Amino acid sequence: MSEKKHRVSRRQFLTYTLTGVGGFMAAGMLSPMVRMALDPALEASGGSDFISVGIGEDELTGEPQRVDFNVEIVDAWHTSEQSQSAWIYKEGDEIVALSPTCTHLGCTVNWDANEDYPGNYFCPCHGGRFEKDGTNIAGTPPTRPLDIYDVEVRDGMVYLGQTNER
Amino acid sequence: MKWKMDQIEMYSKAKEYVDTAIIPLTPVQWGKDEKNIINMGEYTNYLSDYIERQFTGRVFLFPPFTYLKFESKEEKIRRLVEWDKHLYQEGFKYIMYITADSEWKIVEKKLPGELIWLPAISTETTKTDQFKKTIQEQVQQVMPLFSLKWQEEPTERED
Ligand code: FES
Repeated sequence: MSEKKHRVSRRQFLTYTLTGVGGFMAAGMLSPMVRMALDPALEASGGSDFISVGIGEDELTGEPQRVDFNVEIVDAWHTSEQSQSAWIYKEGDEIVALSPTCTHLGCTVNWDANEDYPGNYFCPCHGGRFEKDGTNIAGTPPTRPLDIYDVEVRDGMVYLGQTNER
Repeated sequence: MKWKMDQIEMYSKAKEYVDTAIIPLTPVQWGKDEKNIINMGEYTNYLSDYIERQFTGRVFLFPPFTYLKFESKEEKIRRLVEWDKHLYQEGFKYIMYITADSEWKIVEKKLPGELIWLPAISTETTKTDQFKKTIQEQVQQVMPLFSLKWQEEPTERED
């Protein structure tokens, strides 16, 4: 449930692999990377690791697109893979990347997924809805907007950092 | 939600929203064809996990119902119906079984809940990225089934 997933703890060793979903993502865009986690003491000073999500800024449009990226955590006991997603779009110069985790009880929301509610993120569990910018729609179960990712662009590629509650 | 300590607190706070139980059906056999059997189980786990993620706030994923591959159909069904009955009585109005074992497909009509059967893809020969993508695509196919079920009245169980 927690969205602080890429704040990793001591001794964890992370392998990020990126997998794009949807036709707009070329299969060749996988760019694995490996790194050691920071010690928690250092983490407090910012804790925002940015991960490339395999999509270029120029591929973004006003229509939210889904990107998926996987975080593999190997610690002393077991390996687990946590996959994360984001809905990304561009509004003017601003890039907006939203967490797909419904703020009601954590189901995964999808853009434009329900015929009756075009132009909304729709939660399949209890009918939660959000505007394109992530604002929760009154009268549906969620009581706060979708979390938003920190975004950076490096060499034209989109990188996402931690998610923030609004 | 999952069969884990850290999820149970969330469950007790959100009980009234969690009305669906997912039970993976996992065969066991040794000495013959075990590779296939293991693959079925592994695949079913991935599938169940991914489904759970889509519906975290409404489903509870239980540990697998395991059985010897050669256990008689009647016995298997009898035992699964016990699980089903128990969970139903404890408040899960929708119960979904997930499996890669096609034998369940044959007896589907005898099961009180909803069977989701998908043929296992091999984790051995499929590259990880491709494997994940396939799971995602398959789950996309299965998701409407949940939505559909949720729009219907739950199936009553006999006592
Ligand atoms: S989890 Fe999204 S509306 Fe309940």
